[in-house]
Amino acid sequence: MINFGIEFVPRDLYWKTTFYAIQAEKTGFNTLWITDHFNNRNVYVSLAIVSAYTEKIRFGPGVTNPYMAHPIVTAQAVTTLNEIAPRRVVCGIGVGDRTTLEMVNMKPSKPLATIRESVRIIREITSGKNLEMRGEIFTVSGAKLNFRTTSEIPIFVGAQGPKMLALAAEIGDGVLINASHPEDIENAMGFIREGVAKAEKRLEDLEIAAYTSFSVAKTPEKAAKAVVPVVAYIVAGCPELVLQKHGISMETADKIREAIIRGKWKEAFSQVTDGMIEAFSICGTPETVVEKIDNLVKVGTTQVVAGSPIGPNIRKCINMIAVEVFPHFRAQENEQND
Amino acid sequence: MALEKIVEKIPSSSWDATSERLVDIVLNSPNANKMPSGLAKTILYYWQRDQLATKIGLQRLIEASMIVDPEKTIDALKELGFHELVTVLESR
Repeated sequence: MINFGIEFVPRDLYWKTTFYAIQAEKTGFNTLWITDHFNNRNVYVSLAIVSAYTEKIRFGPGVTNPYMAHPIVTAQAVTTLNEIAPRRVVCGIGVGDRTTLEMVNMKPSKPLATIRESVRIIREITSGKNLEMRGEIFTVSGAKLNFRTTSEIPIFVGAQGPKMLALAAEIGDGVLINASHPEDIENAMGFIREGVAKAEKRLEDLEIAAYTSFSVAKTPEKAAKAVVPVVAYIVAGCPELVLQKHGISMETADKIREAIIRGKWKEAFSQVTDGMIEAFSICGTPETVVEKIDNLVKVGTTQVVAGSPIGPNIRKCINMIAVEVFPHFRAQENEQND
Repeated sequence: MALEKIVEKIPSSSWDATSERLVDIVLNSPNANKMPSGLAKTILYYWQRDQLATKIGLQRLIEASMIVDPEKTIDALKELGFHELVTVLESR
């Protein structure tokens, strides 16, 4: 069975994000992710209000990072959310967006150790345990929440590179693969299997989410126009290895990143090519989008996250997904169940 | 005229279409930040309960869309054929 997630960026007014969240729940999305960047509205405040206006959709930060927020603070925040909406909270964590971190002179140093220790801290603290830990990155001496936790919070680890993918599979309840192209997902699955084997877990017990940049519209041109800014950010923050696989030079990515940092949006966006859109997004008409999601499912994806921008008009595009994309996959499920 | 009287002028057969148009105006207006937070929360409350295409939901949507984009609201209501309603709104 394929689950559908959706991502919102709280750059929008809080009530717009909440409006779309209610719509996502009504139309059958299973999980709602809200991004965590210091220059947008606060992720936990946004999630708290979403929790008040929804009943069943799972939700969580997608993703937070341990460089801007100490994992103990993340644990506190998601545990509080879990009190408001029991069994609906998930926690996405990753190394964060390089471009945004650079704006505040943060270097995502020792990412593997940082994520491994962060997940341990979040898991132990959200489970109500008293944590004593002397790690390579974090030291925690007898930390415990002063309030009761109501249920376990699944932790999803955002990953793109080989080592982080393996680690995500080893320590996470889910992996958020920062990719939209089936070849990237297929490639990721090899490292995910390594991580699962190391932890002696079953692959079936791991949720494997393709965290895509998504744009659906009635015409391919409209869909592409909406996705360009997001693809620019992806290319700017992408590891060299991934860029190379898609035939994109580091020099081009650097140019885009520098333009973004300087706020030269036109300069940054004008360098986004059709090839970049194809490599880093699910973009097109509903028919095209169905085909692309199908390809992701075939290589092992169990959750497809419709990430920003979703389309040129978010409300209409959510409806378009519900009416023209979901039925294809629901029909597939019904056939399998028969 | 109070908004509850104004929405009486919208036939129930047009509630869905009117709600759709007004929601679009409210969400996509460049002046969306003018929306009072209390009104936004009321709209979310009705949206969660599928009540935006009701008399009470439409009242709040008209109120909101007149705040964030009165011109587009008037144009939309004219297109929907609610000329009497437009006259009332313009005279308020």
